[in-house]
Amino acid sequence: MTEAPLVEMHHIEKYYGRVHALRDVNLTIRKGEIVGLLGDNGAGKSTLIKVLSGAVPYTSGEIRIKGKPIVMTSTNDAIDAGIETIYQDSALVPMLSIARNLFLGRELTTGPGFMGRLDQDRMNAVAADLLRRVGISKNIPPTTPIGSLSGGERQAVAIARAMYFDSDLIILDEPTNNLGVAETQGVLRFVREARDTGHSCIFIAHNIHHVFQVVDRMVVMRRGTVVADDLRPATSSIQDVEDVITGEHLAL
Amino acid sequence: MTEQGTTPTEHPPALGIVRFLIAKPEFGPLVLLVLMIVVFTSINPAFASLNNIGNALTFTVELGLIALSMTLLMTAGEFDLSVGSVFGFSPVIMWTFFNAGFLPLPAAFIVALLIAVCIGLVSGLFVTRLGIPSFLVTLGMLLVVRGSALWLTDGFPQRTWDAHDQWLSQVLVGDFYIGGLRIYMSLIWFILLASLSHYFLTRTRFGNWIQATGGNPSAARNRGVPTQRVKVTLFMMSAAMAAFAGIISSIRVSAANPNSGAGYELEVIAMVVIGGTVLTGGRGTIAGTVLGVLILRLMRNGIVLIGVPGLAYNIFIGAIILGMMALHAGLERRHNTGT
Repeated sequence: MTEAPLVEMHHIEKYYGRVHALRDVNLTIRKGEIVGLLGDNGAGKSTLIKVLSGAVPYTSGEIRIKGKPIVMTSTNDAIDAGIETIYQDSALVPMLSIARNLFLGRELTTGPGFMGRLDQDRMNAVAADLLRRVGISKNIPPTTPIGSLSGGERQAVAIARAMYFDSDLIILDEPTNNLGVAETQGVLRFVREARDTGHSCIFIAHNIHHVFQVVDRMVVMRRGTVVADDLRPATSSIQDVEDVITGEHLAL
Repeated sequence: MTEQGTTPTEHPPALGIVRFLIAKPEFGPLVLLVLMIVVFTSINPAFASLNNIGNALTFTVELGLIALSMTLLMTAGEFDLSVGSVFGFSPVIMWTFFNAGFLPLPAAFIVALLIAVCIGLVSGLFVTRLGIPSFLVTLGMLLVVRGSALWLTDGFPQRTWDAHDQWLSQVLVGDFYIGGLRIYMSLIWFILLASLSHYFLTRTRFGNWIQATGGNPSAARNRGVPTQRVKVTLFMMSAAMAAFAGIISSIRVSAANPNSGAGYELEVIAMVVIGGTVLTGGRGTIAGTVLGVLILRLMRNGIVLIGVPGLAYNIFIGAIILGMMALHAGLERRHNTGT
């Protein structure tokens, strides 16, 4: 018997009031693969991501992690299950330092409960080490506020955080948006590094060229449901994929 | 990416320290405070007398206590306009229970604080669960609480002069002398709570959550920070602190006036923003707030001593607020561009 996939979503339905946002969505993510999630605006990508990250409850269906059914009612459930989501604008708190962002919600403390004293020295040391490892250490102390980093550096910090907490699945929502060419390449390099160290990724981007450079497999959504889940950069052209996204291929 | 890392430009060490200090939000208020003391003292040396300082500090702390919890609440991105009403309402409750013989003073004190906590809880739930801006929620609460105080008392002050043989009133507002300086217990409370708030905000996990909640609420939520609980807790602390301050004030002036504390909410918010806390949340400083409290109170005291008509007080306060906001906005811009 083969190892159970990392994440399985079976027959997920989601209604926002009377809006049917997800229709019978089935999705499987295996260990160590990068899956591109594509679809036009309103296709249901963000809703799917929010369901998988515990940010919104789904109406019906089942989610299994490593074969075990799991109930997801909050983002903490998802984080505990090893799913880390990096939203493009809301991954980090600009006024807090790099170290405090890395450990936000999972602070290292000495002493009990939420009154615990922050262990700043240990958090700074871990952060400095992590920054060196992902290659943005250059003279940036871990006490620097996130607000003074560039867009690419922020993405790198967010990815580094997911790697540090050893998340099995890292969901990246538009990680290359608003980034320059060099920074985009940097982010794509981090995504590959994450895969090479055994993490799975879901990669969402409007820019199909970026998706093609990094993913193993592409899943396309249209009108709230998955219409293709095994497009591969090796066998499909960008044009093919665009046709599936817009529904053009049906017209042929 | 490595190549384009924002490398801080090198500066000679001395210049570096100056830049470091100027970039602190507390720097502006500190300079202003020192300047005020120098100017007032040079015009009227009585300003620096022990007697005057002792008096000024006493009145300072009642508003200052509210400013401490308001700083935490504003750092989390909300504010509370009902603090002035709670300041008037809670002592009325406490003294009504005590004077009517229902409860001994310590029990009445606890009950008054608990009712205040409930007021904060309701405000907090309205803001977080219903998503109504805190401006509107606490404006409504301001009227409800003030109205309750007036209705309960028919608008008449409750007497508190039975208080002086009570140990509780000694603990809250008793006084003692250090040399020639008369120190009130309320000042000790203020110093204690200010230190505690500072520690709380900068050194604890909850403090980190407060800053994250105000700085980027959705990021905080995504990381599993219970932002709604953080805000509700802070609304409850804010109301409890207003009640505590109001009770101290009622014992000091020997009357629980249902009208007292009117307008305090705006003065407290002014103290907090002068100190460098950002109105929209994310960054707050207790040290700055203490400076802001001292600036506004010594200004009130000083301009009278140097002979400026007392009615002109608001002109100076308004000018200070505008000046400090301009300074903080400038620092903020520099901060965001990373220079």
